[in-house]
Amino acid sequence: MITTTGLSKHFQDLEVLKNINLEVAARDIVVVLGPSGSGKSTLLRCLNGLEDISGGSFEVNGIRVGAEDSKRARQQATREIRRQSGMVFQQFNLYPHKTALGNVTEGLMTVKKMPKEQAVTIGRKLLDRVGLTDREDYYPSRLSGGQQQRVAIARSLAMEPAVMLFDEPTSALDPELVGEVLSVMRELAQEGMTMLVVSHEMKFAREVATKVVLMAEGNIIEEAAPQHFFEDPRQERTRKFLRQINEI
Amino acid sequence: MQLVFDNLPFLLKGAGFTLLLTIVSMFFGLIIGLVVAIARLKGNRPIRWLARVYVSIIRGTPLLVQIVIIYYGVVDYGITLGSLTAAYIALSVNAGAYLSETFRGAILSVPKGQLEAAYTTGMTPWQAMRRVVLPQAMRIAIPPMGNTFIGMLKETSLVSVITVSELLRQAQLLIAQYYQYMPFYLAIGVMYWIMSTALSFILERFERRLAKAY
Ligand SMILES: Nc1ncnc2c1ncn2[C@@H]1O[C@H](COP(=O)(O)OP(=O)(O)O)[C@@H](O)[C@H]1O
Ligand SMILES: [Mg+2]
Repeated sequence: MITTTGLSKHFQDLEVLKNINLEVAARDIVVVLGPSGSGKSTLLRCLNGLEDISGGSFEVNGIRVGAEDSKRARQQATREIRRQSGMVFQQFNLYPHKTALGNVTEGLMTVKKMPKEQAVTIGRKLLDRVGLTDREDYYPSRLSGGQQQRVAIARSLAMEPAVMLFDEPTSALDPELVGEVLSVMRELAQEGMTMLVVSHEMKFAREVATKVVLMAEGNIIEEAAPQHFFEDPRQERTRKFLRQINEI
Repeated sequence: MQLVFDNLPFLLKGAGFTLLLTIVSMFFGLIIGLVVAIARLKGNRPIRWLARVYVSIIRGTPLLVQIVIIYYGVVDYGITLGSLTAAYIALSVNAGAYLSETFRGAILSVPKGQLEAAYTTGMTPWQAMRRVVLPQAMRIAIPPMGNTFIGMLKETSLVSVITVSELLRQAQLLIAQYYQYMPFYLAIGVMYWIMSTALSFILERFERRLAKAY
């Protein structure tokens, strides 16, 4: 579903991603771990065309973007990729001028040109799916962080993505609100959604991931099934990272 | 005082013109301002440059000079504008430059994450601008827009120099007729004050209604 081949990214002199080779198969739940500044967000942003890549290539659902492609070709591929993948941000980024329902229906009406009644029907179904039926008329400013993030997930799902990218979806939340977002993500995983998740929720990684990846300084250090990753890591760097995590 | 009351209909006609000039120029100024703001932010290099020069010239020269250039200046090139047309053009072009700065700032102040969220749902840059950025930018722009609006009401008095029969011009005509200054100038002063106070009252209510929306 997602393949990156020798993908690299630098901001001026700063090399943020170095030769990333990552594979996310259909129905995979890949959790990416790594210290702050290791390039996790940048990787996700590249996969959604929010950053241009500097080298290598990647493919999302069969659509390829190469660093050597013309600007036009890249733009076209990016638009296609965005239509087939959803992205959830750490800071939610809900539209503050739209209600919960309005946030979900916006893409249906603007991008998919769906008539309003149909969009509203689908929007309500999605809000129900993330447990927010009774909040459809609320503006984001009146929703808790956990509720906002669930609306953001519903907004992405509305576009019927083949794959979902999550960039630390629970990092901005108060601890007591993390659970409600993770449980929506668990349900998504059970329903067979392909997911690439940057997160430091170790329990989620252990129980839901099909593969766990450690990134550090722009490299993939180790990738393994969660059992192996947590119980029997091969790399010293991974052991060190897990020790640091456990100390907190 | 009696003189003012006797000539009140004449002055009120001027006040009507002042309001009309203000509203029409503001309307076109808003359109120009929005287009120029987007041109400066999204246009290619020559378009951005052109927009910058326009704003710089308008902001760097007195409105009075702009008015006379548009009215008398273009005659040299064989174009004759009615004084009213020239007034509309000068005021709209002037307001447009100031409003484009307001809009540009407001658009830039919408967080980047909003645009990114819109893009990831598949919106084109234009759709994201129209559906996500502009509605938020407009709310930010409303208070400075209100100031421009009230400023415009007062600055319309400058087009009296090209004989547009707005409020100040009407007073000047009466003064020429009666050789009395103070009653007429005081009267129109009061009329300007009433109009700008009423206008700010309306704008404030409008602003509060919008602020409640979310
Ligand atoms: N737009 C940018 N311009 C310059 N440097 C950036 C930009 N975005 C991210 N970086 C840098 O890239 C590195 C990786 O950032 P990021 O991908 O956000 O890491 P992570 O998500 O793993 O914390 C950091 O050093 C960060 O400062
Ligand atoms: Mg990050």
